[in-house]
Amino acid sequence: MEIVVRSLVVSGTATLLASTWSIVLAYLLVRSPRTSRPLIPLLEGMVGVPTVLIGLLLYLLLSRQGPLGVLRLLYSPQAIVIGQAILITPLITSVAYRVLTHSWDMYGELALSLGAAEGQAAKIVISESLSGVAAAVVMGFSRALGELGVALMVGGNIRGYTRVMTTAIALEVSKGEFELAVSLGIILLLILAMISLTLRFLGRLRE
Amino acid sequence: MNGIELREVWFKYPGSKEWALRGVSLEIRRGEVLVLVGPNGSGKTTILKLAGGLYRPSRGEVTFWGSNIWEVNGSKRLELRRAVVYVHEKPILLRGTALDNVTFAPLLRGVPREEAIKIAEELLSDTSSAYLSRKDRREMSAGEAQVVSILRAVAAGPKILLLDEPTAHLDREKRVILTNLIGKLRSEGMGIAIATHDHLLALRTADRVVIVENGVVGSVGRPSEILDCC
Repeated sequence: MEIVVRSLVVSGTATLLASTWSIVLAYLLVRSPRTSRPLIPLLEGMVGVPTVLIGLLLYLLLSRQGPLGVLRLLYSPQAIVIGQAILITPLITSVAYRVLTHSWDMYGELALSLGAAEGQAAKIVISESLSGVAAAVVMGFSRALGELGVALMVGGNIRGYTRVMTTAIALEVSKGEFELAVSLGIILLLILAMISLTLRFLGRLRE
Repeated sequence: MNGIELREVWFKYPGSKEWALRGVSLEIRRGEVLVLVGPNGSGKTTILKLAGGLYRPSRGEVTFWGSNIWEVNGSKRLELRRAVVYVHEKPILLRGTALDNVTFAPLLRGVPREEAIKIAEELLSDTSSAYLSRKDRREMSAGEAQVVSILRAVAAGPKILLLDEPTAHLDREKRVILTNLIGKLRSEGMGIAIATHDHLLALRTADRVVIVENGVVGSVGRPSEILDCC
């Protein structure tokens, strides 16, 4: 249970952080087509970056000899949060960008034509596409919750401290303890399904 | 100039090699109805969106009451933009009822809620559309949605109203209501520019008709001089 809670807190924090900057970035990209034209294909390409690569880069940055070694974050939950936030930023940004672009074409132009200031238009566009943006956030959370590379490389899979569901599953499999690994896997799937269903329900209520 | 002026405006859509507009000069004045006619893709919508400050011209300038909208700072530009409202051909309604939508425009401009509701209710009632007040956007027909989107624009209280194919989804009854509304707004001093294929609407409402073809403004004159059917 402790592992499940830790996984949710770590990935939830990473998603919260990444969503904050990713949604703002996505909106800014929608409003500046010149910047978004070269940047969006790059971000979309980064969605598939292997998690171990991000884990490795972060490990080099956070290790004692690394440039950020003084922060002493390696093998801590904070390191996993940072790594997962970096990992899911391209995913949330690119999905939110698609959603907001579509919404801007409809509601942004409408808002401006009715005399909205830029801030009012942004509020209307995001409000009208809330379920799509929420879906982008959930996709990010799912990716963060299900990744292994970052959690293992910069978290270190320390029992009671940085062990999360995916690292625990990997450990139990390596020990031949399939029963616990499968149980954790089922919990992981149930959590993701529950989030998805809740979002759908909230989306319907909003409509 | 008491209204909007397009001076030698050229416009190209991002990523396109073709000019959508080539050297268009046009005035939209208060207290006058200007109707743009022409085939699909001739540039009528582009002209209206440029006049609404939604598109920036590639060349030339668009002035609102003598000020180039793209050369003034943010607050001044907002003030100028608020004098003009563009209504899309395809009605786009926000979440909620007709009353929510019509109320939205004055609320956006800082009108107190009670006053905004009063404006919206009066407009809906004056156009025999009060029955739509509590109707959700998902329950409306395309014609009803179009009426609501036009009323929402009127509720904003612009000096110039730009209507893109306003009769596209309307039945005969609603066309009569719209024609009467246009006449009333003009008599109150509002300037109205309409892009349409509906020659009957042009005949009944226009003070001037402009023919747009291949991104160029052709003949300009009174409806009876310009439209074939007369």
